[in-house]
Amino acid sequence: MTPDRDHIHPDGGIGTLNPPPIDVLNEETLEPETLAENAPRLETVVELLNRPALARVYVYICYWGPVAPPEIMEALDLSKSTTYEYVDRLVDLGLVDRDDSTRPQQLTADPIIIVEQYVPIVITPTVLHALALQEVDEDIEYFVDRYGLGKLIAALRGAGLHFAGTTTQRMVASDIDVRETEAMMIIYALKPALAVGREHDPFFEYLFPDVHDEMDLPNLDEMADAPTDSSDPDR
Amino acid sequence: MGRDTPLSADQDVLVDANIFYAIGRPSNPQYHRFRTAVQHAGVVCKLPRRVIGELGGTETDRVRTALDEGWAEIIDAPSPTDGDAVAASDIARRTIASETDQAEHEVEKTDAILAGLAIQYVRDRSTTSVVVLTDDQPAKKGIENAVRAQGYTDAITVYGLADIIGDDPGDSMRLI
Repeated sequence: MTPDRDHIHPDGGIGTLNPPPIDVLNEETLEPETLAENAPRLETVVELLNRPALARVYVYICYWGPVAPPEIMEALDLSKSTTYEYVDRLVDLGLVDRDDSTRPQQLTADPIIIVEQYVPIVITPTVLHALALQEVDEDIEYFVDRYGLGKLIAALRGAGLHFAGTTTQRMVASDIDVRETEAMMIIYALKPALAVGREHDPFFEYLFPDVHDEMDLPNLDEMADAPTDSSDPDR
Repeated sequence: MGRDTPLSADQDVLVDANIFYAIGRPSNPQYHRFRTAVQHAGVVCKLPRRVIGELGGTETDRVRTALDEGWAEIIDAPSPTDGDAVAASDIARRTIASETDQAEHEVEKTDAILAGLAIQYVRDRSTTSVVVLTDDQPAKKGIENAVRAQGYTDAITVYGLADIIGDDPGDSMRLI
């Protein structure tokens, strides 16, 4: 069965069911015990997608870890209590590892990737970063309020193609069905997610297999106030 | 103003809407740089009504600010029905289609229209030269090809934002 692209909506939804082969599901994967083991993973992703402020802390730790809570407070402009609340939650969710053997404690996070190939949907740290930016960028906040997360991911992909010079912004507008000026606005608002993602997101190529190394974006190394990458021994 | 820009007061400067989104909101350093470059050169950015799109919503404060401050204006460009303009737009459309790997009919009309407008502008008005600013690479190539094919390379120049204010150093970007 070949996927019918005409049924994929600009927001990432599908008009008709295009089910994966049933053999993906078998007695083993459907074992109540297995499903119960997988449950936290699903809830983790749902929580990240629904809480951009939490996702923002996760992405910061993932990209710039190991980091200590005070660095997070300063870089993200959060209060001490908020920072610890988010960090505790991320540790509970199993997304962040806390090393208490040093003072201050050091936090690290593994990048997550979720690919649902049948819809298709892809979620990587770059996507979570784009989503998290609504906490600090009113253009992204406006766009998500108006169009939702699915279309933000579509816009992210369109923005990447624009910065690679392989599409025009008006084509993106038409592809994702938003006004031209809205497409132009969101493309530039997503620039930080792309500029940081291509350097720090190990799964960047999943989102941009065709153009990941062709984007004309600011180089983070040349930016004075870029957070330092303490895991990189060259700095 | 520490930087030379290729803009000068004897030019008509046609600006695609995307330039105004590339420079960000009025509070953004990139916006300041662009405004300074334009005002320093003594030009008023002409925004053809056809390319500015539908004004409205929160995304238009950057255009509105420029209009209110008097360094941009919306122009009613003549409708591109004459032969030169149609031919130029066709060349631009073919170039954009090839650059973006799309069928010609998939190319947004507005992306190709700037080429025709530029040629009409230089032909029908007495200004020495016309500058077109756009931040879309395929559209830029489309206009350049059209200008070359129609023999206006001396009179029309196409620039991107970096040509006016330099490469984006990223200093205006909040990373996270």
